[in-house]
Amino acid sequence: MPQLKIDNKEIITAAGTTIQEAAKSLGIFIPTLCHSDEVEHYTSCMVCMVKDQVTGRFLPSCTAPAMDGMNIDTTSDEVTDLRKKSVELLLSEHRADCEAPCRLVCPAGYNIPLLNRLIASGNFIKAAALSVDQTKEEPLWCINCPGYCQNACRRKKVDTEISIKNLQIYISPPENKSDNNTEVTGSQPANKPAKPPRKNKRFASLTGKMTESELKEWLKECDADNKRFQAISDNESARQEASACMHCDCRASENCDLRELGEKLALKNTSGKLVNSEAIKKINRTANLIFENAKCIKCGLCVRLCEDSTTEPALCFINRGFVTILSEPLTNSFEDVLKSKTKECIEICPTGALSWFKSDPANETKL
Amino acid sequence: MYSKGLKNKEENTIAECNCTGSDMTPVISVVEEVVAFTGREKDKVIPILQEIQKRLNYIPSEALKHICKITEITPGQISGVSTFYSQFRHIPAGKHIIKICQGTACHVKGANLVSDAFRRELKLAQDSVTTSDMLFSVEEVACLGCCTLAPVVQIDEKTYGHVSPAGVDMVIADFLSQVSSIKKSTELKNKSSVASEIRIGLGSCCVAGGSREILSEIIDIRQKYDLDVVLKPVGCVGVCNQTPLMEIITGGSSVSRYTNVRKDQVEDIILKHIKPGSINKMLKLRINDLVDTFVSDRKLNNPALVPHEKREEILISFLQNQLHIATEKSGTMSPESLDEYLLLDGFSAFNKCLLFSDQGELINIIRESGLRGRGGAGFPTGKKWEIFRNSVGDRKYVVCNGDEGDPGAFMDRMLLESFPFRIIEGMLIAGLATGAENGIFYIRAEYPLAVSRIRNAISLCHKEGLIGDNIKGTGFSFNISIFEGAGAFVCGEETALIASMEGKRGTPHLRPPFPAVKGFREAPTLVNNVETLSLISWIINHGAEEFKKIGTAESKGTKVFALAGKVARGGLIEVAMGTTIRDIVENIGNGVARGRKFKAVQIGGPSGGCIPESLADTPIDYEELIKLGAMMGSGGLVVLDDADCMVDMAKYFLTFTHQQSCGKCTFCRVGTKKMLDILERLSTGKAISAELDELEALCSSVAKGSLCGLGKSAPNPVITGLRYFREEYEEHTKGICRAKKCQSLVKYMISEKCTGCTKCSQECPVNAIAFRPYEKHEIDQQLCTKCDNCRIVCPENAIEIVNINATA
Repeated sequence: MPQLKIDNKEIITAAGTTIQEAAKSLGIFIPTLCHSDEVEHYTSCMVCMVKDQVTGRFLPSCTAPAMDGMNIDTTSDEVTDLRKKSVELLLSEHRADCEAPCRLVCPAGYNIPLLNRLIASGNFIKAAALSVDQTKEEPLWCINCPGYCQNACRRKKVDTEISIKNLQIYISPPENKSDNNTEVTGSQPANKPAKPPRKNKRFASLTGKMTESELKEWLKECDADNKRFQAISDNESARQEASACMHCDCRASENCDLRELGEKLALKNTSGKLVNSEAIKKINRTANLIFENAKCIKCGLCVRLCEDSTTEPALCFINRGFVTILSEPLTNSFEDVLKSKTKECIEICPTGALSWFKSDPANETKL
Repeated sequence: MYSKGLKNKEENTIAECNCTGSDMTPVISVVEEVVAFTGREKDKVIPILQEIQKRLNYIPSEALKHICKITEITPGQISGVSTFYSQFRHIPAGKHIIKICQGTACHVKGANLVSDAFRRELKLAQDSVTTSDMLFSVEEVACLGCCTLAPVVQIDEKTYGHVSPAGVDMVIADFLSQVSSIKKSTELKNKSSVASEIRIGLGSCCVAGGSREILSEIIDIRQKYDLDVVLKPVGCVGVCNQTPLMEIITGGSSVSRYTNVRKDQVEDIILKHIKPGSINKMLKLRINDLVDTFVSDRKLNNPALVPHEKREEILISFLQNQLHIATEKSGTMSPESLDEYLLLDGFSAFNKCLLFSDQGELINIIRESGLRGRGGAGFPTGKKWEIFRNSVGDRKYVVCNGDEGDPGAFMDRMLLESFPFRIIEGMLIAGLATGAENGIFYIRAEYPLAVSRIRNAISLCHKEGLIGDNIKGTGFSFNISIFEGAGAFVCGEETALIASMEGKRGTPHLRPPFPAVKGFREAPTLVNNVETLSLISWIINHGAEEFKKIGTAESKGTKVFALAGKVARGGLIEVAMGTTIRDIVENIGNGVARGRKFKAVQIGGPSGGCIPESLADTPIDYEELIKLGAMMGSGGLVVLDDADCMVDMAKYFLTFTHQQSCGKCTFCRVGTKKMLDILERLSTGKAISAELDELEALCSSVAKGSLCGLGKSAPNPVITGLRYFREEYEEHTKGICRAKKCQSLVKYMISEKCTGCTKCSQECPVNAIAFRPYEKHEIDQQLCTKCDNCRIVCPENAIEIVNINATA
């Protein structure tokens, strides 16, 4: 039975226990992205690094077994810095947005893409409720706003921006619009618009520069043939215009281990900036599963989860080194892979790389 | 050996087979045949793919699918494996494959310019690697192991050394003319009673230097004059920079050596020593070539007339500072004859071991000798054996790690090619001492000669009863097989090596569990480097005390190095531990070439570092090298001079490690890429000073946080660069490369020395120099691609490379 110290606390564990498990029993939490009790150890993300002060070595605690005489340090600056660096490195190839650009620039922090999705799905009641919810009995700030959201709208780079402002105003109940700054008329920006109270912004990953072909990938997110309306006059025009929204926000924005870790380690917002990164693709199995390669951190959880499936082709890693990517095997199409384990794979994915392609927006978290 | 080219364009896709129904049948039948031969288990995936590629030139997707259909191999496994290893191609290659060596030694001698020249000459489109007529494919490979002939290009089986960018058209023309001529038989028929013996080196360097042609010429001459002489192919002599090497032994003991032998000189040389034959006509040959002999590779014209002392001076000074243990009897022993090895006391150590009543005693001898693993990290061999001996398992494996992938190192290849029996003996002793009954040679598939020599040696030993069940009636059984690696540097790491033998992607895992406890197929596995095993028999024969006498306090015995780069005489050398770097460079290597300044040595390849000339008195010793931030590594030793840029060197190694990273852990997969990005910015003058600090911090994180040795040591070239050559890094942030090596920071200019001979204009592939006879020429900077051709051909040395951002 190995006897060791973790953060100066003595512990005796069963042989074969990992350092992480031993720490857990002492109430010490060590973060991890690539480890799950459901599958074999893989030791990929390296955010669980700890230091053995006896040997001076740094060890991945999810896999390294607790050994007799170890003196493990999980909290020093040196260890935290190393963890920070691993998350920073993961983010440097994470060419993905946690939040849609429109929402990031919105001074009031409205959840614009969700509102768009609710409208697009025809759920006007929920859309109006969302509008009320996030204005919190204050007037709708959009009326006074010059429309930063529309300027940031990614759709603008494809054809024209979504008429976000008009959609917001259209869906907002009359009582929110009436109590308004007097000097404002129509959609003309006021000279000195009142500013909404700044909300605490969460840590967010940013995509950075995109190529033209990458932008086209976003079009896969929306109906290609719907009509566009600048002025929103009725539910139908609102629905059609909102359907052009490209779902720039990440499906896992509220449920992402990587983002949470970035936040916990107080990282600055970063954009993926490594040269020659993999081009962003949105590979989807119609109405079911979507795989966004640039969000994959190569933790291999899904690969291991369905590794030995003989009945259907499983996901696998192909290539080597920096260009390693998650892929469907051989020339099978993505349609064929992990049909029976879709749900498990989406659940185990620590980021938004694997998600349900279409889900009911009414079930999404609002804030 | 990584190979860029055929793979990287198609990296993300496995090409859909465009064969039609009728064409597909052969693919299916080939797969069926191969599988029937190899077996259907999951771990057979690599041998199956290798054999299919051998037969079909590439691996069509139909083949992959069919393999999954008829074996236990799954689609996920085969996709992962066939895209992981560099050897496998998913698109058809051209009829002939041009492999351009990008090893360290070739890199410092301008391999990238050679690569550009081939692409230009073959008119390859931007992203294509194969000519439109499917005649040639161009591949960049990490190391062909002929570092002393750098830059080296291999077309199919034919190797060309000292290739210059301006000469690639000649290389292609020569190759095409070779293809059409019929190959001579090089069959050896020796007579029974003989007076003389001719030895010809048939190591890879010698073969690359043309020794096969020399051999066939000797056969012709022997026939022509009906000479009474034995022809004996021998392994590597180590004097790789002077290949081909020929030795003539007359009267039983009188040895005459000739280096750099050329086909047209063979007749003269042989006839000088062996009668009959008139030497009158030879005396008429010009004497004035004497001066150039040995100094230049090419001018050598008639070595038969060079005085004996002068001729051998180079060999003597090259050899006298060395100590041969692993390479004992180099150049005198045929690597293909077990009889000869036995005659020269071969297997005497093994026989001795068989007599030990307690074979555990053998471990004490090895531990006592102080032998440490020669693969790089230097773990005490005796300790490893002991752990392995104490591990319990139904089956136990001894693996000889011959997956040498370090660009700029070819020690293991030479040892495998030249001393196969000695390594087998070492392996047998390891098995005997530790209670293992299975041996596996893991050898890179890029070393075909090594594979065939070991295969031959195993079969001879088997016949002799040295391998097999109940060896010599002692009850000890040991069987040996060969596994051919498929091209992944990371598989030199023992856990990755085992993964690849199990038919998986070659990704390492955290140790513990150590392979000696739980390795191949979950069984205890002892992984020892080639060189380590080749030292065992000497230690047993001479005793631990003798071995301990050699070397330093903590590093005992000798170390084999592949000495190459900007050194006058390169080759495979073996020196006692404790020999200083300066001794090696100056006494064995005879200093840097052509009067340039010795700047640094790169030791240990991508895991090692650059040690500056000021620290060249450091002795070769595991700990001393680590103190300097370098590492013993596997034994590549590349000498750099003042024309080498330290940023460029670091960039070169990081390019290598980032391509060879298995991609499993974050620090190695992304960290090395980020380091490379910064180095790229430095070499193009875009980086700012603050990025040097970022680079330094990144080095420290990658070294601390990576999973295996590859990642942990990957920053070493940068760390030593920043430590010893920081001012050069600083200069790059200002856009200046003092060595004038970083292409983006320099331009070509024609000085006043120009006589208007127009040679440069004719040679320029992009017409950047206008044809103006008798006038000073000018280079159009917009058009210039910096291919270096003009500078090479200029007879007046009028073409200068200048820094774009140089301050006046």
